Amino acid sequence: MQKKHICLASSLLLRIILNFNIILNKIHKLNLTNKLIKLIVIIIIFTGCTEKIDLELDESYARLVVDGEITSEKKSHQVKLSMTSSFLGETHDPPVTGANITISSATTTFILQESQSEPGIYFTTPDVQGIPGELYQLDIELPVEINGHKHYSASSMMFPVALLDSIGLKYDDRWDVWEVQCYALDPPTIDFYMFEILKNSIMLSDTLSDKMVVDDKLYNGQYTNGIGVGWLDPEKPGEKLYYGDTVTLRMSRITEEHAYFIWEVQRESGYNNPMFGGPPANVVGNISDGAIGFFAAYSVEYGSTVYEEQKNITYY
Amino acid sequence: MKSLIPAIILLLTSILMLTGPLSAEDPVGIDRYTISGTVTDATNGEELLGATIYVEELEAGNATNLYGFYSISLPEGKYTLIFSYVGFQTIQKTINLQSDLTLNIELEMNQEMLTEVVIKGEMKGENLRKPEMSTFKIDSRSIKKIPAFMGEVDIIKAIQLLPGVQATSEGGSGFSVRGGSPDQNLIILDEATIYNASHLMGFFSVFNNDAIKDVTLYKGDIPASYGGRLSSLLDVRMKEGNMKKFSGSGGIGSISSRLTLEGPVVKDKISFIVSGRRTYADLFLKLSNNENLRDNKLYFYDLNGKMNVKFNDNNRLFISAYSGKDTFGNNDFKMGWGTQTLSMRWNHLFSKKLFSNFTAGYSRFKYSLGVPEGQPNSFVWYAKLNDYYFKADFAYYLTPNNTITFGASTVFHQFFPGTAKGLGEEPFFSEFEVPRSNALESGAYISNEQKIGARVSLKYGLRFSLFNNIGTAVLYNFDDDYNTIDSTVFAKGDIFNTYFGLEPRFGISYSLNEVSSLKASYARNRQYIHLASNSTAGTPLDIWFSSSPNVKPQIADQVALGYFRNFKENKIETSLEVFYKKIKNAIDFKDHAELLLNQELEGELRFGEAQSYGLELLVKLTEGRLTGWISYTLSHSERTIADINNGKAYVSPYDKPHDISVVLNYSISKSLVFGMNWVYATGSPVTFPTGGTWYQGVRLPIYSDRNSYRLPDYHRLDFSFTYKGKQKKERKWRGELNVSVYNVYNRKNTWVINFKPEENDPTKLYAEKTYLFGIIPAITYNFKF
Repeated sequence: MQKKHICLASSLLLRIILNFNIILNKIHKLNLTNKLIKLIVIIIIFTGCTEKIDLELDESYARLVVDGEITSEKKSHQVKLSMTSSFLGETHDPPVTGANITISSATTTFILQESQSEPGIYFTTPDVQGIPGELYQLDIELPVEINGHKHYSASSMMFPVALLDSIGLKYDDRWDVWEVQCYALDPPTIDFYMFEILKNSIMLSDTLSDKMVVDDKLYNGQYTNGIGVGWLDPEKPGEKLYYGDTVTLRMSRITEEHAYFIWEVQRESGYNNPMFGGPPANVVGNISDGAIGFFAAYSVEYGSTVYEEQKNITYY
Repeated sequence: MKSLIPAIILLLTSILMLTGPLSAEDPVGIDRYTISGTVTDATNGEELLGATIYVEELEAGNATNLYGFYSISLPEGKYTLIFSYVGFQTIQKTINLQSDLTLNIELEMNQEMLTEVVIKGEMKGENLRKPEMSTFKIDSRSIKKIPAFMGEVDIIKAIQLLPGVQATSEGGSGFSVRGGSPDQNLIILDEATIYNASHLMGFFSVFNNDAIKDVTLYKGDIPASYGGRLSSLLDVRMKEGNMKKFSGSGGIGSISSRLTLEGPVVKDKISFIVSGRRTYADLFLKLSNNENLRDNKLYFYDLNGKMNVKFNDNNRLFISAYSGKDTFGNNDFKMGWGTQTLSMRWNHLFSKKLFSNFTAGYSRFKYSLGVPEGQPNSFVWYAKLNDYYFKADFAYYLTPNNTITFGASTVFHQFFPGTAKGLGEEPFFSEFEVPRSNALESGAYISNEQKIGARVSLKYGLRFSLFNNIGTAVLYNFDDDYNTIDSTVFAKGDIFNTYFGLEPRFGISYSLNEVSSLKASYARNRQYIHLASNSTAGTPLDIWFSSSPNVKPQIADQVALGYFRNFKENKIETSLEVFYKKIKNAIDFKDHAELLLNQELEGELRFGEAQSYGLELLVKLTEGRLTGWISYTLSHSERTIADINNGKAYVSPYDKPHDISVVLNYSISKSLVFGMNWVYATGSPVTFPTGGTWYQGVRLPIYSDRNSYRLPDYHRLDFSFTYKGKQKKERKWRGELNVSVYNVYNRKNTWVINFKPEENDPTKLYAEKTYLFGIIPAITYNFKF
C-alpha cells in the first residue's frame, strides 16, 4: 500500500507542472509537502535548512485595496475597502470608511451600505441576486482622495455556470485524505472554474489560497468523470469526516481575469523557490487607477453528498 | 530572399579583400616549403592543442590547432624549430628545409613539477601575442586539483570560478558569462552541442572529467567558426585514447564511481577510450528499512566513448559518442532526462598547407516524466530536441604570418516542446501537445590570423548566418497586446520564415615589450534559438524554442580592451580587461509567465535591450609549487524591456557587481597537494515586497521594482588534500586519495527568502531564508594503471 504514495505524488506533480500555482497551495494546505519530500529521495540534497533573518524593507506609498463580489446567489453581497500597509511586522490594514458604493448592471443599480460593526465593509440588501449573462459594474466614490483619485471602478461579466451533475467522495489512503470528485459537463468554450468545499455548511476553503481554480485545458468540452477538485485532511480538526456529515462543493464559473487573479495571488503568497516560477511580480486586478484587488461577478452551483458507511469509499 | 544576394556579394568581396593582399607578400621566385605534422603527448599519444612551434631564425611561429596539427611554410634554408607546451619538456629540432617535411613531435610530460624548470628560448608568452582575448583554457589535470563539491570533479564548476563567469545559483550547473543568460552559452563536446549540462537538478554536470582532455571558454570573442550564441563558447574536448599502451583510470567517490579504459587497437594507428560514471545513491536505498525508499530508483550515469583512426599523415577519423541520463522514480512514478551526442570527424590534408575537418553528427536532449501504464492516473509527458549537423572547416597555412580559416556549417533542429497524455484504456485526460517545429541554422565564415611585424597580430573574420523556420509547424499570431488572434499551419518542408545577418569578429594584439601587450576585440553574435526558462536555479524541464516571425534573433555586439602582462619569465600571467556588451531583441518573460506546456509560448515573451559592462582582473600562476588563479570582476548588467518593470531598466538576474575567486594549489611535498577555493560574490538581485494587504486570508505582497534588492552576499571556502602514494617504478597501479571539504567555515548562503507568519501571531510575518549546504566533506579514491 505504502508505495502507492508516489502515485498521487506523480499526479500531483503533473498538476503542479500544468498548473503550478493552485496545486502548490493545495499541497501546502494539506501539509503534503513533507510527505512528498520524503518520497523524493534526492531531497536529501534539496531540503536545505531554514532560518529567520532580519530584513530591512522599504515601505512604498499606500494604495486602495478593493475586495468585492456579486454572485448568482440571493444574498447580501459585500465589498471591502482598505489601505495597504507595510509587508512585515505589524500588518494592520486601515479600513476605508464613508465611501459611496454601487454595483450596477444594464438594468439595475444596487446601493451598498457600510456595516456599523465592521468599518470598511459595505453590503447590498439581502435580496440581491446577480443574473448570469449580465455585465456588472462597481463604482466607488471616496470621501477623500487616495493616490490622487476619489473615484474607482471595475467591471466583471457573470457567465452562466456549467452543469454540475453530482459529486463523489473518495478516500485516498496513500495521502490519508478525502478527495472531493466533480462530475460535470464542460462546455466547448474556454472556461475557468473555482471550487470551494463546505462541510455541514461551514466553508472550509475560507482563504484565497484554499480555493481551487482550474481551467479546462485537459477537459474542454468533455465530461469530467470525477476529477479531484478538493481535499479534506482528517488530521485537521475542522476537516475530519464523521458518518452523517454533509460535504458540499461550491462550483463557480469565473472569468479568465478572475482566475488569473487568484492564481497570481496564490503564487505570490505561496512558497517560492528558484527552481520553479519566475521572479515575483505584482498581481494584476481589475480595479481602475492603480488600486489593488478584484471585483468579481460569477455564477454558482452546489453539489452535496453525505458521508455514510460503505458508501463512496474507493480504494485505488 | 532578394536581400540575401547583396549579403552574399558582401561576403564574397570581404573574402577577396581578406586574401587579396596576401598574394603580394611573397616575392616572386622564392620557393616555400611546408613543415607540418602533429604535436602529441609522448606517454599516450594524445594531441596537444595549442602547443607552440617557434622558428628561432624568424622569431615567429605558430600553434597547433584543435586537432594538434600545425603547418609552417618557409623559404628554403636551415631552421631551428622549438616545440613547447605548458607542463611538457621543450624539444628543439634543427632542420635543413629543402622540400616539404612532415614532422610529428612527441613531447614528454614534465615530471619534475616541483623543481624550478628552466626552459629557454622557446615561444613563451604566447598569451601576450595571440590576438585573442577573453578566453581561458584549462586542462583536465588542472580541473582535478580544484576542490570539488561532494568530491565530484566538475568542469562547469571550474568554469564558474573564472573572471566574468557567474554560477547562476548555488551548486548549479548553469553559468552566466558577462551578465548573459545561461542559454547564451554554446557548450560543445567534440563539436556536438550540449543543451542541458546538468545532472541531479544541476548539482553535477554531464562532463566526466576522466574522459575530458581540455576545455576552453571564449567569453564573447568567439572564433568565427562558431556562432549561434551571444555570450560564450565552451569548447570541451574529449581525450583521443591512448595510442601507446592500454591503460585505465578511475575512482570511487562519495557520489559516484568512475572507470575509464583506453588503449591502442593498432599501436600509433587506432585507439579507443571508453569512460563511464554512475552514481549509487540508490544502491544504498535498497538497504533502507523504509519500503518507500527501497523501491526508488535514483541515479545518473555518463558514458563517453571515442575511436580515433590515423589512416596516414593525411587522413584521420574520430568518432565520439556521449550518452548520459538521469533516472528517478519507481513503479508508480518515473522521471528521466538525458543527452545523447554522436560526432564523426574526418581530418584531411589536401596539401601540407591546407588542413580540413569535416564533422557530421547528432545531438539530442530529452526528458520525460509520468505514471507508468497500469497505475491509476497514468500519464506520460515528454519533450525533446534533436539536432543533426554538418560542418566543414578549413585552415590554410599560407605563411607563418598568415593563417586563413574558412568553412561552413548547418544544423537541422527539431523541437518537440512537450506532449502530455493520459495512458491506458480510459486515459484520465486527453492528449495535449505543444506543436513541434523545425529550423535550419546555417553559417559560413572566413577568418585570417595575421602577424604584421614583430608587434602586431590581427585576427579578422566574418561569419554569415542564415536561419530558416521550416514546417510542419503551427504559428500563433498575436495582436499588439500579445493576445492570440489565430494560428497558421505550415505544411511539411515549407520554409516560412528566414533571418540572416553578418557577424564580424575582430581582434588585435599589440606587443608593448617582451612582457606586456595591449589587446582589443569586437564581435557580433546572433542567436536564433533560445531557452524558455524563468528559473534561476535551472531545472531539467528545459524548453528550447526558435526564432520565428514573432521572435526576432537576439543580436549582441561586444567590444573589449585588455592589458596583458607576464611576470617572472611568464610564470605569472596577468590581464586586465574591460568590456561593453549590448544585446538587441533581448528576450525576457512577462510577469507570471507560463512556460511549460504552453502552446502560445511566444505570447509570454517580451523583447527589449540588454547591456552589460565590466572590468575583469586575472592573475594566473602557471608553473611552480603554487599554481592557480585569482580573479576579480566588477560588472553591471541590465535589461530594458517593454511591459516588464513598467519599461524601466532593471538589473539582470545574474548581475553580481563584485565577484572574487581565489583558486590555488600548493604542492606541500611530492605526495601531498593542498587545494583551496574561496569565492565571494555580491548577493543575487531579488524583488521584495514593499507593502502588503490582507486579502481573503492571505498576505498579498506589493513589490518593489524588479530586482531592486539583493540577497546577502555569497562567500564560501573549500579545501582539498590529495595524497599520492609513493610511486614505485615497477608498479603500474597508482593510487591517490582526495579529501575535500566544501564550505569550510559553514557559511549559510541564502538560496531563497520566503515570508512566513509568526507562530504565535499569524497576522505578523517574518523573513526566512533557505540555505542549501552546510559543511560537506567528501572522500574520493582515484587510481590509474
